[in-house]
Amino acid sequence: MFSRILIANRGEIALRIIRACKELGVETVVVYSEADRDAAYLHLADRAICIGKASPSDSYLNIPRIISAAEVANVEAIHPGYGFLAENPHFAEICRQCKIEFIGPTVEAMQLLGDKVAARNVAKKAGVTTVPGSAEPLSNEDEAIQLAAKIGYPVMIKAAAGGGGRGMRVTHNEANLRSNFKSAQAEAEAAFKDGRLYLEKFIEQPRHVEVQVLADRFGNIIHLWERDCTLQRRHQKLVEETPSPAIDEKTRDPMCKAAVKLAKAARYTSAGTFEFLVDKRKHFYFIEANTRIQVEHPVTEMVTGIDLIKWQIRIAAGEELSIRQRDVRQNGAAMECRINAENAAKGFVPCPGKIEFFVTPGGFGVRLDTHAYAGYTISPYYDSLVGKLIVHGENREEVIKTMRRALQEFRIGPIHTTIPFHLDILEHRDFVRGKIDTGFVDRL
Amino acid sequence: MDVEKIRELIELMKDNELTEIRIVDGESRLLLKRGGQQPVFAPLPAAVAPAAAAPAPTAAAPAAMSPEPAEDAGLVAITSPMVGTFYAAPAPDADPYVSVGDRIKVGTVVCIIEAMKVMNEIKSEVAGTVEKILVDNTSPVEFGQPVFMVRPG
Repeated sequence: MFSRILIANRGEIALRIIRACKELGVETVVVYSEADRDAAYLHLADRAICIGKASPSDSYLNIPRIISAAEVANVEAIHPGYGFLAENPHFAEICRQCKIEFIGPTVEAMQLLGDKVAARNVAKKAGVTTVPGSAEPLSNEDEAIQLAAKIGYPVMIKAAAGGGGRGMRVTHNEANLRSNFKSAQAEAEAAFKDGRLYLEKFIEQPRHVEVQVLADRFGNIIHLWERDCTLQRRHQKLVEETPSPAIDEKTRDPMCKAAVKLAKAARYTSAGTFEFLVDKRKHFYFIEANTRIQVEHPVTEMVTGIDLIKWQIRIAAGEELSIRQRDVRQNGAAMECRINAENAAKGFVPCPGKIEFFVTPGGFGVRLDTHAYAGYTISPYYDSLVGKLIVHGENREEVIKTMRRALQEFRIGPIHTTIPFHLDILEHRDFVRGKIDTGFVDRL
Repeated sequence: MDVEKIRELIELMKDNELTEIRIVDGESRLLLKRGGQQPVFAPLPAAVAPAAAAPAPTAAAPAAMSPEPAEDAGLVAITSPMVGTFYAAPAPDADPYVSVGDRIKVGTVVCIIEAMKVMNEIKSEVAGTVEKILVDNTSPVEFGQPVFMVRPG
């Protein structure tokens, strides 16, 4: 096991990793920017090192400064959390060169699965169904038109280097496709420094269901079942739950097995997630892989009882997975609401600012992962996540009751948060019946 | 005068909203001033060593405590622009770049900060006299950490 690791992240995930390390007996070094100087979670690490000004490029995205801090603190490994440098193969490569263990997959696996087109090809070779689309990035507009005619409209133009819901456009006919092609290229070039595009059939009213995978360095790969993340706004997840109310055993089993097949084909190690779209006929299609720990990982932890962060660290330290697939049970149901500092009534406009009161929910089946507290200031430089409210119960019905109760107990102010929005969603008939699709929130 | 006693005094001050305590105990004298957000250590010249000991400057809390005792008024800090290791001299056996009392100009190399095996010469952005050197040779420094205190002019 490592004696000391550096956490190259901030906020709730940094705190999550500190907690796992404390229990594993691993010393923690956390980096912070000037904007996070007063955060209380810094005191829970064994050491905190200021690496730069507020702007992410000066701090949490600044590879030289992070590596320098790692060397100064003499750590053996770095946990990148999620976002920032978590899926940056260049950063993982530099860690390797500096003989610092990167807690995540290998550079090669990250590169293979991070490129959306390459990932689709891995899926094809592994016999996993993907959304019908282009096998290679599109060379030009005409090729796109030809392919679209074959697949059938509507089609989605996607950036090969994109992800997280960015760089995607739906087109309904040839004229639409022509007019969108060039602007999509320019947008991809600007956002990802890579203007390559590919095409996919647009699945109407899909559900987004992803499978959690854990793999060690000895070839052992297991899945930890699925999470349904259909409730999204502009492709940003708001609520995640397990088991998925949209699928039954006939779909769940082959989908989870497909995720393991993909992980095997990519020689994946550490924690990772394979995302699928499920259509009205319960057919599933692989769309992309996330080669990192995800925000919503607690949902899986609650039903399986498996600590994903601890396993990431153990795997990186060279330990073998001691969990057999047949031992991974789904016990009850779980749900997570992402509490953001946003005013849902005013178009989800971000509301950074000082939190004056922060009364947290509790009780049976309630878990709160947050770095915030009364007196903490949500700064405007990073995402607006205040905390994750996770609930565990016997079944979906019980979980919804507990989540409603917990949200009602949770009082944050004077900044606006999405707590009222979540309360509304939990009363909405379609959500309660489990009959929503990814466009649900945008249509509200 | 031990650190535990000083901690208790600080708590006492906070609980009772006091701003200043002076204690004379035989040979040792201690002055605690509480201003702004954090209490301040401002030992008198005759104070015993433990009273002058500030917490190690690598954790977040002490950095936020940035004390401004009376003698630092008017001084300008040269802070570290990066995370790395502080070296006072160009080589292990060479003389340090600057010593207390030296006059420096804008652009004078005051130290080296090593980051990822690269030796970075740090140049002063202020002209004046070096009054304090806050970091020991070969100690780690973080971004924004004060390294030198300079009296401008």
